[in-house]
Amino acid sequence: MKDFFENPALLIGAPLLVVGLAGAMIAILASFAPEQRSLEPAGLGLGPGKAPPGGQAHGGPSAAEYVNIGLVLAAITGLEVGVYYVTALGNILVPVLIALAATKFILVVLFFMHLKFDNRLFSTMFTAGLVLAFAVFTVVLVTLGASIT
Amino acid sequence: MAYAAPHTQPLETSTGVDNRKLLMWLFLGSEALFFGSLISAYLLYRNRNLTGPFPRELYDIPFTSVSSFILLMSSVSMVLALAAIQRGDIRRMRIWLVCTALLGILFLSGQAYEFTGFYDRGLSLRTNLFGSTFFVLTGFHGAHVSIGVIILLSVWVRSLQGKIKQSDSLTIELIGLYWHFVDIVWIVIFTLVYLLTGR
Repeated sequence: MKDFFENPALLIGAPLLVVGLAGAMIAILASFAPEQRSLEPAGLGLGPGKAPPGGQAHGGPSAAEYVNIGLVLAAITGLEVGVYYVTALGNILVPVLIALAATKFILVVLFFMHLKFDNRLFSTMFTAGLVLAFAVFTVVLVTLGASIT
Repeated sequence: MAYAAPHTQPLETSTGVDNRKLLMWLFLGSEALFFGSLISAYLLYRNRNLTGPFPRELYDIPFTSVSSFILLMSSVSMVLALAAIQRGDIRRMRIWLVCTALLGILFLSGQAYEFTGFYDRGLSLRTNLFGSTFFVLTGFHGAHVSIGVIILLSVWVRSLQGKIKQSDSLTIELIGLYWHFVDIVWIVIFTLVYLLTGR
């Protein structure tokens, strides 16, 4: 216990790890919630899941759900930093950190940027850029011998 | 605002979607390539230094984690601004917009503090390959955040002048898309640049 309080990495990392794990648990439990609400701007008069004319879909999370997603994102960030200080993870640290970052990335894109609810054309445009960037730069990095650790 | 037609009206475009929004997504797709090139350059060159300082000597992960948290929370306030204008609540939209701008300024202040600390410890744009690629990558990201803050404050001032109405929600949505993109780029930078290479 004495070592714990003398080690700044553990002092910072352990609470963040606990908060992060709690957040991840909340996120997993929330994903099993049966109710899926859908809000639309006032005056549109559309039912849930129906896009307004012109493909401008605006159904999506409520303000409270946005806040919950934000809390999950904050918890995952805490988990990332906590995991960073766990030396025992060794070789699996890289995939764990990449998976956590990918989860945050996907949550922001799907819910905050509304790609989950919007016209597929927008997803296609954005995904095309991402896939092209990932493919081109993976080839470049592998060819020139870079590493991410 | 003549340019912001209410998006509840049918859109007679060849794609069936609003061209401004389509253009924004195309722009964000191209930005993915732009930041991809800068991140790749960093990953390629950061270990090819002949002289220090090196990443693990400089990075302060707890400090950068707080910066990341601030930028994430700015994304939450941005999306709450959009939700507010879609409900027709202009007053709350103003509050959330200015919150987003302030959180962006706080993030930039943290970045300025970090850059100053690195410079004081001997790392500049010309010190080594790590310095060049790190400052170019995070500097360009900071420039994007700065542009976002200017846009947010401009819209906030226009809303105070009564020039932003519920029918202009697409304008806020487009600004939000840009702001969230800046956030997701930082999610990637924080993991690949700080967490994975700073250990």
